[in-house]
Amino acid sequence: MDIIDLTWGQLAIGFGILIIPGLILWKYKTGLLQKMGIAVVRMTLQLIFVGYYLEYLFEYDNPWVNLAWIMIMVIVADFATINRSGLRRSKKLFISIFIATFLGVVIIDLFFLTFVIRLPNIMAAQYTIPITGMVLGNCLRSNVIGMNEFYYSIDQHQERYRFYLANGATQEEALFPFFRTALRKSANPNLAAMATIGLVALPGMMTGQILSGSSPLIAIKYQIMIMIAIFSGTVLSVYLGISISRKFTFDSRGRFDHSMLKKD
Amino acid sequence: MEAEKAIKRTLLLFLHTMNIAFSQVTFAYDVDPIIKNFSLKVTKGDVIGIRGASGSGKTTLFRLLLGFEVPDSGTITFDGERLTPQKLKAFRKNTTWLPQDLNLGDGKVKEVFQYPFTFQANKSQKPDEKKILATFDALGLKKNIWDIDFSNLSTGQRQRVGIALCYLLNKSILILDEPTSALDENSKHQVENLLFDPQRIILSTSHDPWWIDRCTQIVDLNST
Repeated sequence: MDIIDLTWGQLAIGFGILIIPGLILWKYKTGLLQKMGIAVVRMTLQLIFVGYYLEYLFEYDNPWVNLAWIMIMVIVADFATINRSGLRRSKKLFISIFIATFLGVVIIDLFFLTFVIRLPNIMAAQYTIPITGMVLGNCLRSNVIGMNEFYYSIDQHQERYRFYLANGATQEEALFPFFRTALRKSANPNLAAMATIGLVALPGMMTGQILSGSSPLIAIKYQIMIMIAIFSGTVLSVYLGISISRKFTFDSRGRFDHSMLKKD
Repeated sequence: MEAEKAIKRTLLLFLHTMNIAFSQVTFAYDVDPIIKNFSLKVTKGDVIGIRGASGSGKTTLFRLLLGFEVPDSGTITFDGERLTPQKLKAFRKNTTWLPQDLNLGDGKVKEVFQYPFTFQANKSQKPDEKKILATFDALGLKKNIWDIDFSNLSTGQRQRVGIALCYLLNKSILILDEPTSALDENSKHQVENLLFDPQRIILSTSHDPWWIDRCTQIVDLNST
């Protein structure tokens, strides 16, 4: 079956269904109506921008332009991670999360594009950009959970951290239980998603491929690959994010710099 | 191998003439100093009892000693050397700190209790389950506590678990915050039997006259 392209008019009709959630949120005075409006407008504008931009990227397919686009995505993800994890912006934190996210994405990209998909041109936009985007989006979510859990938990259980230090632990040993919990909490949503995928919901990427005319069997192979890429990328990125940032957030006596937390 | 290390450590402990000194230490969290020109010398075998009203700086003294706060003026030395960040790392390998409200985290007692023995500095002291349960028994803790979540223990039980940890870690410097506040008479005697050792330094805060009576030196922060 041929792909049914949507006209802008058809897409506009699609927005009509928002009346239902809008009415429900309005009736119960959730205060989310404005937020919903902003979110829908932002989503639409951002995706229109990305759509046109990807058309350009795919058409010219210049590796340097593709790399620059990945860098921009990582920088935006970096700011978003710091803001959403309740941490104060600082140069050191920004660099730590940038390195963690960039490495997380690049290592996974290189592995899958080189050894699995075996692309002749590693920076081919059609594959590199979507896979990077999928991994990066999930890295962002996991980093927010991981960084928030790690640093706020140390703040909340400072006596326990100090207890370990005062009983002979190196800083790494004293931080180990906090690191473990942060990794668990950040990995759990992706593990749950992997365990239920296909049973509870069809994933977006696979649905997109099928709607675009791909065979479901090709779609599931890509979906399996992308789930593994996402899981590996997120665990690696959270590990690197905490490992690198902690070098700057504790002093030489092992004292935690609480001013990095954006507390109300 | 681990037994050899333990023997070597005990021997070194015996030969080592330890001392800790606070000299003219002043410290303020904000503007008004909570600790002002505080001096104290402690050597091996001393049991120091620090008493004072709430907010008089008892716990702050421990925080200063352990490097969690830095004096605004004055010095703290261990064996004559200032506790610089580098020296502090070595110093903490010799210490056990028991806070008043011990929190070993989530998990069963058997899990959280054994964690400090996985530290490189404590591996040689790692006890087997039999020895841990015998220590628990001496402190009036029942065997079934082993499988209970640490967070479900009462204050008194936590304190006893902490004392057992202090004993089994076998360090040369014990820093104890109100070690007997939730213990009965019998358990207090057990604490004395387990922890008092002429090869050790014990620094403690306490409101308990029973404990204060057993200290070799009393520091009253109300009068400083």
